[in-house]
Amino acid sequence: MVGGRLSQGQVIAAVGAAVVLVASFLDWAGASAGGGSVGVPGGASVAVPSVSLSYDAWEAPGSVLDVYILVAGVVALLPALLAVTDASEEFSFVSAATLILGVVGVLLVAAFLTVDFPGHGLERKVGAYVGLAGFIVMAIGGFRAMQEEVAGEI
Amino acid sequence: MQANRLSQGQLIAAIAAIALFIISFLPWFSIGGGITVGGISAVGSVNRSMWEYENPLDIYLLIVILLALAPAALALLGGGADAPLAPVAITLLAGVGTLLIFYQLFDHGSGVSIKIGLILGLIACGAITVGGWLQMQEDVRGERY
Repeated sequence: MVGGRLSQGQVIAAVGAAVVLVASFLDWAGASAGGGSVGVPGGASVAVPSVSLSYDAWEAPGSVLDVYILVAGVVALLPALLAVTDASEEFSFVSAATLILGVVGVLLVAAFLTVDFPGHGLERKVGAYVGLAGFIVMAIGGFRAMQEEVAGEI
Repeated sequence: MQANRLSQGQLIAAIAAIALFIISFLPWFSIGGGITVGGISAVGSVNRSMWEYENPLDIYLLIVILLALAPAALALLGGGADAPLAPVAITLLAGVGTLLIFYQLFDHGSGVSIKIGLILGLIACGAITVGGWLQMQEDVRGERY
């Protein structure tokens, strides 16, 4: 039983990490142009094909978010991975690391959505918002796991 | 002189953090491009510092710099605040930061080349990681110089 070895905080953090990792493959930014028709002399119209461009966290040019998501996701999933593999190793700072990486992840995605949004004319897509929510859940899980370690509830 | 209140790890992390802040204003990337009009070609490039390049790396490294300076600043100001997680946070975030900068050596987008700031930033961030690691070791041994 995997759930028996994991604390509530670790489960929450693992769920947040899974959400972030899945979100990294959704569209984070994109643009679309064209579509519709253009009138030409003589009353006829010509259809203009629409062109759309979008990319996920891994395809964003020059961004470091992909590597950060991978590192943070692996750290947050570590307790669950150890439970699945029935390993006996325990890492004392995993909960604190999950909290720290989760909080910084929230700041990074917030920066991506605001001051560091790449390109001009691009729109923010749903993947970035789902990733932000995932990092928030990861940070809450890490904080909860730390509290549980202090209280000895595991 | 208050510097003797700092541990070796705090000193290394603080000096490296100041160095990284200064380095952040050097050119990190060069964005190049060319245009041909009427058979005449023109090629140009523009340098970008860490802050000017559209990348969350600047926010991330700012967090690392502030975090690395905090223990030294508190010690020099005479603050007795106990922050047991600070060395772990510095080591973790600076280590990940070093990885992120290293990754930029190979993934910096087409038409973009790396400049000296990125290399120096990599070294400085690595030094902050070492300083954080030494703080963790010193906390275990209870050392203060």
